[in-house]
Amino acid sequence: MAMALLAGTLVPAAAMAHAILEQSQPSAGGSVPAGKVTLSFTYNSRVDRARSRLTLTRPDNTQTVLRISQTGAPNVIATSTELTAPGPYSVRWQVLAIDGHITRGDVHFTVTGQ
Amino acid sequence: MTLLIDLFGYLSIVVHGLTIVAQSMALGGVLFLALLVHPLASQLGSAGESIGRTCARLAAWSAIALVVCELATVGLQSAVLVGTVDLSLGEVMGAHFAIAGMVKAAAAALIALTLFTLGQRAPVAPLLVLTAIELAAATLTTHAAARLDNRTPLLLVEGLHQFGAAIWIGGIPSFLLALGRIHNGQALRLVGTRFSRMSMVGVACILVSGITMWLLYVGDWQGFYGTAYGVMVGAKIAMFLMLLGLGAANFLLVEHLRTTPSAPITRLKRFAEIEIGIGVAIFFAAASLTSVPPAVDLTQDRVTWPEIIERNTPQWPRFASPDHDALALPALQAKLDADAAHRNAKPQIAFVPGSGDLPPRNAADIAWSEYNHHWSGLFVLAIGVLSLLNQAGLRWARHWPLLFLGLAGFLFLRSDPEVWPLGDIGFFASFRDVEVLQHRIFVALIAAFAIFEWRVRTGRETNPKAALVFPLLCAGGGILLLTHSHAIANVKDQLLIELTHTPLALTGIVAGCARWLELRLDHATNPVASRIAAWLWPVCFILVGLMLLGYREA
Repeated sequence: MAMALLAGTLVPAAAMAHAILEQSQPSAGGSVPAGKVTLSFTYNSRVDRARSRLTLTRPDNTQTVLRISQTGAPNVIATSTELTAPGPYSVRWQVLAIDGHITRGDVHFTVTGQ
Repeated sequence: MTLLIDLFGYLSIVVHGLTIVAQSMALGGVLFLALLVHPLASQLGSAGESIGRTCARLAAWSAIALVVCELATVGLQSAVLVGTVDLSLGEVMGAHFAIAGMVKAAAAALIALTLFTLGQRAPVAPLLVLTAIELAAATLTTHAAARLDNRTPLLLVEGLHQFGAAIWIGGIPSFLLALGRIHNGQALRLVGTRFSRMSMVGVACILVSGITMWLLYVGDWQGFYGTAYGVMVGAKIAMFLMLLGLGAANFLLVEHLRTTPSAPITRLKRFAEIEIGIGVAIFFAAASLTSVPPAVDLTQDRVTWPEIIERNTPQWPRFASPDHDALALPALQAKLDADAAHRNAKPQIAFVPGSGDLPPRNAADIAWSEYNHHWSGLFVLAIGVLSLLNQAGLRWARHWPLLFLGLAGFLFLRSDPEVWPLGDIGFFASFRDVEVLQHRIFVALIAAFAIFEWRVRTGRETNPKAALVFPLLCAGGGILLLTHSHAIANVKDQLLIELTHTPLALTGIVAGCARWLELRLDHATNPVASRIAAWLWPVCFILVGLMLLGYREA
């Protein structure tokens, strides 16, 4: 046993991934001009929008839960919001895939002055 | 709640593995009753009555286990959603997975109720309808349900795959129970032949569905060897081939009964026992598969063949450890402490266990990990050589399990350098990190195993069943390793690590099976098989030791 167990002890564990983010708008590390911004996240599988969540973190570290649009392609979650202050932002996404797996991740981007 | 999601990721695989085991045994038991016990009842006489009663009870208890596992799955997922998305329980229970889970639990509960109340006389038709409902609901929580393309054909083959697993692997425990209740060659041949046919149907279903899923989920050879999904499929194929080999040996023995009804069938029973073990390992590998995205979805960051060759080209092991202060986390903490001291402020914590973030890593961390693997490899190699010498008759070598105690101590100190006793994070605070939690459990199991097996080897433990703990834990460790780690969105280094650990897991499972056979086979009637088994497991230990000595992370 122990040889297998010890290998488990030695391996660095990692988070699981199922519904994976294939594409985002803005892209990770990208930038958008200040103003009304559409945030869109495309996955490899169908997601349950009503049971998923997008949380925006602003440059001053305040957080807002964004309302997810309930229409669109089955593998996309999207929202629109006003981003007025330039600086670094991030969106933490958490999605429930239709097969019941919950995954999450972060997309960091920058808002530039208009 | 963040911690719950991290724990949930690992727990959900373990619970899902248990769910597949329970589902296959429940449905396999029902199919065994419907397709074997009922049709052969008149020819089996009183033995048929006894087989039917026992198999009905096994299927009923398996169905109860399925209800428990399914409710645990829905409960865990619901708790995470309620806690993270601010939904009411009612809103969560409207999700596809919750509806499918509750249908599965209800169908399993009805199967259990029918079998507990009516036993082997339960009418076959309603049981088969409940089996079909169970399988249909089960397919709705597979990858296929969430696919964008080829959804219907994939749902069909997922259902076929699970049916094949149930009728074949899920039926083996019932077959084993039946073998224990038959005492004449004619009846043995009848049951053996019928179960062989059921197994062939199962194998055909698995082959057709497996090849279809390979084409639609894996796609090409690079998807097979270059992604976490493909590697786990490879592990499943390897174990499937082991099962086929054992099944073929059993088939030949059953055919032999045709001409020699008095032929001993101990080997048939013992092979069936280890088939159950390998079957469980396959089910846990299947559970692992559900937690990683299909290979076809990962078109970037796949590992290439030259990268695999480069990483696995042998190099001299690393027997000198880097300095603890050179590791990324202590170095970062020292920098944060210095910055804080400069500003007269409270220092920031470099890493918070359970925060969901992965700790930073540098070249020293890689060297640290390789050093751990290489010294562990030496320990295991020594254990393998000593157990081989013990097998050859060298008496003092029977103390080999004590080496595992030293290994457990070494791993406790070194496996998580950021936590107590080497790191700044306290003993109890470190348990918030899922990785540390798993490592601590593994270390405790290794230490317990070392003491237990040493007592067995030195005659201090006299119960003959005590010796079976070793093969069970050995195979169990291999199964746990299959579920332990997966690539994050296919980060190459993580996959290269997994590529080396999957063979370790498979070797652990083979070692467990070999030791089980050595203990359980009748040496008088199966001298060759027993001898092979006795030498095989120490060789597996040596192989694991060598694999660990060749381990590299860069």
